[in-house]
Order: sequence, then structure tokens, then C-alpha cells
Amino acid sequence: MGSLLEVDGRRGSSELRWWSLAVFLAGLVALGMFGYAQQLMHGDLVSGLRTIGQGGAAWGLYIVFDITFVGLAFGGLVFMTVVRLFHLRALRPLSRMAQIMALISLGMAGLCVIADLGRPLQGLLNFPKYARPMSPFFGTFSLVTCTGCVATFIYLWLDSRADAATQAARGGFLRPLHLLMAAGWRNTPAEAWRHKQTSYLLALALLPFMLIGASTLGFVFGIQAARPGWFGTLQAPGFVVLALISSMGVLTLIAAAARRKPSLAAAIRPEIFGWLGNMMWILTAVYLYIVAIEELTASYAASAVETRVADSLISGAYAVPFWTAMACFVVPAVLLFLQFLRRRVSVATTVICALLLNAAAIVKRLLIVVPSQTEGLLLPYPKGHYLPSWVELAVIGGLIALGVLACLVFARLFPIVPLITLADERSVPHADERPKQRASRLFLTGATLCAGLALAVTGFLLSARFGTERWQDPLVPFSPILFISGMVLIFGSALVYELLPDAGKRAPDPVNR
Amino acid sequence: MSFLRTATRRGLLGALGLLGTGAAAFALAPLRRVRMAIDDVRRKGRGKHWWGMAIDLDLCTSCGACVVACKSENNVPNNGSAPDHAGAGIAWMNLVPKEGSESNDPIELLPTPCMHCENPPCIKVCPVNATYQNDEGLVAMIYDRCIGCRYCEIACPYSVRFFNWTEPNWAEEHKNLLNPDVSTRPEGVVEKCTFCSQRLRKTKENARLDGRELVDEELQKLPACAQACPAEAIVFGDLADGKSRVSRLSRSPRVFRLLEHLGARPKVFYLSRDRRES
Repeated sequence: MGSLLEVDGRRGSSELRWWSLAVFLAGLVALGMFGYAQQLMHGDLVSGLRTIGQGGAAWGLYIVFDITFVGLAFGGLVFMTVVRLFHLRALRPLSRMAQIMALISLGMAGLCVIADLGRPLQGLLNFPKYARPMSPFFGTFSLVTCTGCVATFIYLWLDSRADAATQAARGGFLRPLHLLMAAGWRNTPAEAWRHKQTSYLLALALLPFMLIGASTLGFVFGIQAARPGWFGTLQAPGFVVLALISSMGVLTLIAAAARRKPSLAAAIRPEIFGWLGNMMWILTAVYLYIVAIEELTASYAASAVETRVADSLISGAYAVPFWTAMACFVVPAVLLFLQFLRRRVSVATTVICALLLNAAAIVKRLLIVVPSQTEGLLLPYPKGHYLPSWVELAVIGGLIALGVLACLVFARLFPIVPLITLADERSVPHADERPKQRASRLFLTGATLCAGLALAVTGFLLSARFGTERWQDPLVPFSPILFISGMVLIFGSALVYELLPDAGKRAPDPVNR
Repeated sequence: MSFLRTATRRGLLGALGLLGTGAAAFALAPLRRVRMAIDDVRRKGRGKHWWGMAIDLDLCTSCGACVVACKSENNVPNNGSAPDHAGAGIAWMNLVPKEGSESNDPIELLPTPCMHCENPPCIKVCPVNATYQNDEGLVAMIYDRCIGCRYCEIACPYSVRFFNWTEPNWAEEHKNLLNPDVSTRPEGVVEKCTFCSQRLRKTKENARLDGRELVDEELQKLPACAQACPAEAIVFGDLADGKSRVSRLSRSPRVFRLLEHLGARPKVFYLSRDRRES
């Protein structure tokens, strides 16, 4: 069970549907690439963005979707770590979907930033060379995009090894790929015990790490004293809660899509949608509370510009999208709350609510990014306006299509619902290897961890230049790379611990769920 | 990984020891440079000059000569002049209507160059240090390094940073008259007023060749905007020199700075009898 490769009686029609969808998505990706080519050829003028103070907004849809994708990645990681740390076995079937959602979203977030840059090639070179921790973009680049990708990939890989070995044993043309993913998994008790430990510690490390990473995105806006509507302490927590709402929503959509496969319908039970629905209404309630506090405080602000931005949302130029977004938050939250009270789960209702909440989250992000630039002008420049151009819409559409396509391809190549659930089984017995071998393993892991810590601290200090002028280059060019390499090594120590071969005996069969 | 199974403990530990020593040496090697850089900064401190500008609004007639002179001197392109390029214009020196005035009232316009703040918000956010403050307080750009993220434009409270949304565009007759002392900026980078640093550099060089110090008189009208102002409303100079005209004007009871509450400490001082902040 589990793999979308498995066939049923309607294989022909499902194959056709899969390929039709894949071709449609590939078409959207091609359209996005065409749009981006236009932007590269004619400059950012083809976007709807313009200069602040001259009737435009300098940031728009690209930044909105960068926030959206980072949010999805953060939410996916939170989901998988919480499932692992608290042994939420009921939600375990969705953990791989959360992992793959996080990994793909991180890649899409990086592409969004590249699409936004005026000089993307210089960005790819100068970020690693000169990135400064003083700018919040340092965290977005180093922690979220680079380290987050690697750490998520490591977790996903280690968590998939047992399934990959099972798939490889079944043969097929994908066997070499599955063998590579299995990385020598022999299903020994010691291996299972080690994976249990590794996944626990990785989850424990990933949670605060991604929280910091996601919060830096809030700081990108929250520390801007010169942008009324942005400056405030609630930006980072607001971003985090909104990220969790949209990620639970997208996870609901992925789970519902996967459930259409008859072989997966039994594993993805309606109770799972009940859990997701409950998380969504609770988080939405928290987010509405944050929005209410923000708007109420802004309406009492001493600064006329602050109140102007708040008024533009409540009753001004942005009132229609603002109240539409609020309605799209409130209605699903009420529906999901009623579902919780009735103790009866409707998958269709949960899916519709997830769609509405995601639409609301995207519009709300647009309303965070844009009005402060068009209305929040501190000098009496003319007000601005922003409407995304077809190029921006095509690029974002292409990126979303690319993400969905990547998810579809993964689901075709590998079980999207875990076949083997060793990691969260409390019953995995303690099994140790020979003391000498264990000592070597621990030593190598510790050495990798220490080297990672040393590199990360050194790279950070060289980049930050504490004790010197704040606006200077990193002491050593490319020292941000040292920091990122250190962070990657820290998470890579999990690979060392788990992948070093042991001399244990092979177990007869994998533990099937 | 087979060597891991066959290796002796002593051999493994020896190899790891060597690896660790190498890693430690690699990590510690830059420490000497750290110490040298800290010493360097401590020695250097703030430069000898601290450039600033004063704009007397009681003298300003809002004629716009400063805007035109700035465009001409600094090769500022005419981006944004085409109908479909609206909002993409660049004006290092801008005329902003004062708060409460009708925008078509020419008397009520405020000349706004880059404020070259002492505590510049734009510099703090630049992810790649493409904008920085030099020893003499000028907020400068490294165009080659700019990646075009526009975060500095977002962070500037005065909205005096401009992104090149397209290739620079000049009128045909202007193309042969570009100032060779000022580099043109490519598409995709942010640009801004430099207080005509090219003129400042030339003046300093001339003074050095003559073997003399800079004198206030040659600095007062140094930037193109100050030189072109028919009412002599714009004065440039060294704020570190207490006797300079700009320094004396900056201590006038008529003086105010834009958006002082933000703490950016701009180095452009406005003078007005009613001290009416825009």
C-alpha cells in the first residue's frame, strides 16, 4: 500500500489524469518561464512594481509569495516535528507530505526572491560573498533558504530509508533510485533504534531553528521604523501564526488529493481532517486576535500616517480586499469550530475551509506588504497604487505549478504515506551495537557536530564583525558560506550518526505499520 | 566506508586528530585579520570632514534649477518620462509639496536630496553592504555590488532612493553630453544623491596638489544643486568645521530637520522662519 505507483482497476484513466495534469502544470511552468524571460529582457518595468513616492510600490507579489512559501515550509516542519516529538500516531500518515511540502516550498521561496531581484546573478554571487547578519535578509538567505533546505532534506531522507529499502526489495525500474535512498538500510534493530534517536533530536533542533528562520521574515517588515503599518513587535508572531494557518490548509489539500487514491484512502482517515480542521480554527482565532490588536492600536496611534494606513484598510482604498480576507478567515473558522462541536468530520467542508483560509492568507499578506508603501508615505508624496502585471502573475503561477508538479512526481516515485513507522513507535526496542563501534560512531558524530559549531560561530562572527563599524564587509569574503556550511554540518552530523554502517545482523522483515 | 571497519582505533584517532587540527587551524586563521581590522577601525574613527547641507526655505523660490542641474551633472536618466513608464522616474533632487499645500502651488515645494543621515536606516538593511557610510559621513553606493532587492528604498523614510526599473534612457541630444566624471547606472540597481562626490573628490585633489587645506568658500556651492540655485538657498560644507557657513546655519534658531523623531539624524538642515516641518 501507499505508493501512487500501485495500480488498481482504473489504472488507465488515472494514468491519463496524471499525465494530463502534469502536462497542464508543465504548460504553466513554461508560461512562467516566458514571463520571467520578458522580465530579464525588458527589466522590472514589465512588473506592476514602481518607485515608492512616485505612485508605486517597490515590493509586491513576489515578496508576498516568498512569505507564503517560507510560511508553508515552516508550517510543514512544525507539523512533522510535533508529530515526531509528541508521538501523534494519528497524524503520522501526513508527516512525509509535510516534509515534502516544506522542502519544495523552501525551493520555491528561493526562486521567488530571485524573481524579485533586479540583478539575480549578482544576487547569487554577492549573497554568499557579502551577506551581513545586520540585515534580516541574512537570516532568510542563510537559515531559511540554504540551511532549511538541507536540514529538511536530511530529515526526509533519513525518515524514508526504511521505506526505500522496502521499495527496492520489490524491484522495478526505480530500484537504483530506491537503493540510493535506502543508503544501506538493513533493518537491523540497532539501525531502527538509532533512527528513533536521530529523528527525535533532529526534530528537536529543527523546531527552534525554523522558528528563528520564519521570524526573521517578520523582522524584514517589523523593524522598519520608516514604514507605518510595519513597525511593531507583532509582525514576527503574526507571520508565524499565518504561516501555520496556510500550511495546515495546504496540507489538508495535499491529504485530500492523496486520499483520492483508493489505496491511500484507508490510511488517510477522516479523523486526520478533524485534527487539521481543529488546528486551523484555533490558529485562525489566534490570528484574528492579533489582527484586531494591531488595527485597534494603529487607530489610536499618535502618528497621522499610522492611522492613515490603518484607515486605508478599514474603510479606505484597501477596505474591500481587507474585509473579504477577514470574511474568508471568519467563515471557515466558524465552520470548523461547528464541526468540532458536532464531533462529525466532513472532509469536503475541511477542504473548502482550507482553500478559503489560504486565499485569505495570501490576500492578508498582500495587505501587509503593499499599503505601507502606497499609503504610508512620511513625506507628502502622492499616494501610490499597485496591481500585479501579467508577468508577475505568470511567474507566480509557474512557481506554484512547479511546486505542485514536484509534489506529484515525488508521489509517483515514492510512497507519500510512510509504509514503515519506526521513528514514532515507542515500542522500538533498545538495541545497541558493540561498545567499540558505538564509541567510534559517537566520536565521529561529535567531531562533525563540533566542526559544524566551530564553522558556524566563526562564519557568523566574521560576517557580523562585532566590535567594528556596523557597515563593513565580512572580514573574510564568503564567510557567510562558512556559517551556512557550519549549520549544514550541524544537521549533517545526524547523517554521520545514522549512515555509518554497523555490524548487526539483518532483521527478518521490516516492521510494517 | 569499509576502511572504517578495518581501521584500528589508534589509526582512526590519529586521523581524526589530524583532521581536527586542520579544521581548528582553518577556523582560527582569520583571527589575526579580525584583530587587525578592529585596531584599524579604532585608529581611524570618524574622518576629518563631516559633510552636510543647509537649504534656506525662506530664500528658495521652488524654481527647480537644482533639479535640472542635478540631473545634468549626475547623468540621471529620463526613465519614467514615457506614458507607460509612470512611476519609474529618477530624481536625485526632488521637489516635494509641503504638507497642507496644494501640489500646484510652486512656492510650497521642498527640495529633497538624499539626507545622508548619520544613522542611516537604508544601510542597516542592505543585505550585501552595497550601500555604506564613508569616513566623511556620505552615504554611498557600490553599484556593481547592488543586487536590486530594493530593501534600502523601502527603508528610506524620505523616499529618495530610486531603482532603475529599466535601462537608463536619455534624450538623443543628451547622450553626447553625459558627464564623464560620473558613472552611469545599469538596470536593476538602486541609485541616489551623492552630494556630488565627484566634485568633492576633484576639489580635494586640487587642494592637495596646491598644498593647502580646503576652504569653506570653495565648498559652499560645490554640489550642482547649490551651484545652480539662483537664490543661493542651498549651502554645502563641512559640519565638523564650526566656522563653516553650513555649520553656522545648522545652529540657526530657524533650523529643522525632516522626520527628526525617527532618529536617523539627517545631515540636510532646513531653515524657515515658521520652522514648519513638511
